[in-house]
Amino acid sequence: MEANRNFPDSELVVNLRNGKRMEEMIKDLYRNHFDSLCWYIMNNSGSRQDAEDVFQEVLVAFIDLVQKDKFRGESTVKTFLFSLNRYTWLNELKKRNRTLLREEKYERQQDKLVADTSDLIADREGKAEIIKLVGELGETCRKILLLFYYENLSMREILQTVDYENEQVLRNKKYKCLKQLEQMVNSKPALQQSLKNLLHG
Amino acid sequence: MDNFTPGQSEKLVLYLDGTLAASEIIALENELTRNSALQEELDSLRATREAIRIYGLQQKVAGIHAQMMNELQAPVLNSNHSGKRIRYVLAIAASLLLLVGAYWSYTYFTLTPDKVFSSAYQPYELTTTRDGNASESEIEKAYREKNYTEVIRLHDNDTASSAKTEFLSGLASLALGDDTKAITCLNAVLEKNIISGKSIFNDEAEYYLALSFIKNKDYATALVLLKKIKNDPAHLYHEKVSDKLLRRLNRLQP
Repeated sequence: MEANRNFPDSELVVNLRNGKRMEEMIKDLYRNHFDSLCWYIMNNSGSRQDAEDVFQEVLVAFIDLVQKDKFRGESTVKTFLFSLNRYTWLNELKKRNRTLLREEKYERQQDKLVADTSDLIADREGKAEIIKLVGELGETCRKILLLFYYENLSMREILQTVDYENEQVLRNKKYKCLKQLEQMVNSKPALQQSLKNLLHG
Repeated sequence: MDNFTPGQSEKLVLYLDGTLAASEIIALENELTRNSALQEELDSLRATREAIRIYGLQQKVAGIHAQMMNELQAPVLNSNHSGKRIRYVLAIAASLLLLVGAYWSYTYFTLTPDKVFSSAYQPYELTTTRDGNASESEIEKAYREKNYTEVIRLHDNDTASSAKTEFLSGLASLALGDDTKAITCLNAVLEKNIISGKSIFNDEAEYYLALSFIKNKDYATALVLLKKIKNDPAHLYHEKVSDKLLRRLNRLQP
């Protein structure tokens, strides 16, 4: 059975930043923080499903910020996740037009914290659109691009997982796939802007 | 010329991937400073790569999510009733089972939220300090004297309440049966702690907040909180959350 251990914040952040032992680090975040953040949402007119959806979104935002070196450890991981969780949930509640009076009051008291967090994970809708768009790419293209640009596998390693004659054929295919996705992105100027914000934000 | 050829586009991808030959990098970088369309194409490719990265990260988390939900929602209760034991019990006395069944039926059908609450609730006692509490605040004094109305009045008049005053006001509200106010105050303790990075009365607030939710008939939230305490051996109230309490709370849920 898999051994569960708690990683100190510093070790967790270094591993996430370098993309090392990602699965282990993400599981650690679930074990240590899901219950608290889930409880917060369920206590603020959310359902269990809302809490699960928001937690996934929060983790993606958190890891992204860590990898872009925007989490500098000025607060603990727990405090930071709580802020992201609260901002994301308040944002979602506003979208659903049922923000609680208590939360509005709380938000006013915490203007700075919420503003800081909102700067960090602005454009939730943009990110959701990006994920949807890449999901619309053909399965083979998606697989090749993910293995190359996300998993950082070499062409030789990718060749073992797909049905292409040689590395050159695969390289050509990867080029075409990238250009296809680029065109899909460019056909949506708002999305392109979201990506630029994510890159340079 | 403010444009680029298809061949240059392929070079840009190689450049982006870090596989362009060293001899060609300088020439391409010079060209990028002169050719704005080429620079724009490189930015566009970088944005596309960022889209793949975000998608990959989301997929990675989603892939682990289902697995973790199974792990975190694993039933707290289990297997004191091993097959061996069941067989043994069955063998020794059918009549005893009947009695157990009758008792179980009685407790099942007479289970009420108040019973569950009372089985877990004990009024919180403030610890006595070495100076005989000479240095304690007004609100602490009122709480120690069980003057709960005064505790709440002092809290409500305090414009800069601390985690401690919120905690005492939460407990006083719970003692007076105002579970809604108890929830607000005890929540405030946890939020103040998270923001300050401290943990003043944190474990205590979590436990009494769970009890407030039981009183408030919000059993689902109470369960989430109690399971969190149960799953944390370092929690001050870990031992207080028994399987029996969770089982009874489960039964109260609609």
